[in-house]
Amino acid sequence: MKDMMKTSTAGSRARRGAPGDPLGPNSEIGRKLKQYYDELVSDDVPDRFAQLLAQLEQAEPARKKD
Amino acid sequence: MAVSQGFKTDLLGSIPSLRAFAVSLAQNADKADDLVQETLVRAWDKHASFQPGTNLKAWLFTILRNEFYSQMRKRGREVQDSDGIMTAKLAVHPAQHGQLDLKDFRTALEQLPEDQREAIILIGASGFSYEEAAEICGCAVGTIKSRVSRARAKLQEILKITGEDDYGPDAISTQVMGKPAA
Repeated sequence: MKDMMKTSTAGSRARRGAPGDPLGPNSEIGRKLKQYYDELVSDDVPDRFAQLLAQLEQAEPARKKD
Repeated sequence: MAVSQGFKTDLLGSIPSLRAFAVSLAQNADKADDLVQETLVRAWDKHASFQPGTNLKAWLFTILRNEFYSQMRKRGREVQDSDGIMTAKLAVHPAQHGQLDLKDFRTALEQLPEDQREAIILIGASGFSYEEAAEICGCAVGTIKSRVSRARAKLQEILKITGEDDYGPDAISTQVMGKPAA
């Protein structure tokens, strides 16, 4: 909470003293990390995983489902 | 106890994040998908031990991570610890400030020891809190914090980024005023 108030001084937010958010939007590394990761997350998921789950489901002992 | 539809749906929904985390750890798409597959099988088997209402993603990441390290151990490879390695492949060219290429970034990320890489990914990209990341990695919050900060320092060093968070979005003024003495 305190952090949020501190950042209200727009423009000159020196992040150096905020160890809680060294990878925030002001950080080049923080931005690149997210870009790198978002690209991976948005990759198409191969069918094999849906098939795998379907197989696992079929292998379940046929008890009542909830 | 049968696996519920909801659990299955949630598993499906978390596959993209699991794959991203797996690639970040394994640095190899095929190995990553094998990790994800193993994770799903394990999660299915032990679904009864998942407490509904708690963080499924964190639970799954924990399974995936354990699987990753146990595979590494099986392969007889020492788990890297933070110091040592590095330096070998430091051939990244210096980045112009604010124009860091994603490919260079990926190369730099690969050079981090696993424990630092996973920490910075969990915190900086996967959106976990320090507490959650500590839980996932089975270590203290302080350990995660120090790994993240070492990872960040190393990335800065490899990518030749200096004092970046002193200015952030206000990069133009730094071009005018030159590099801050950081």
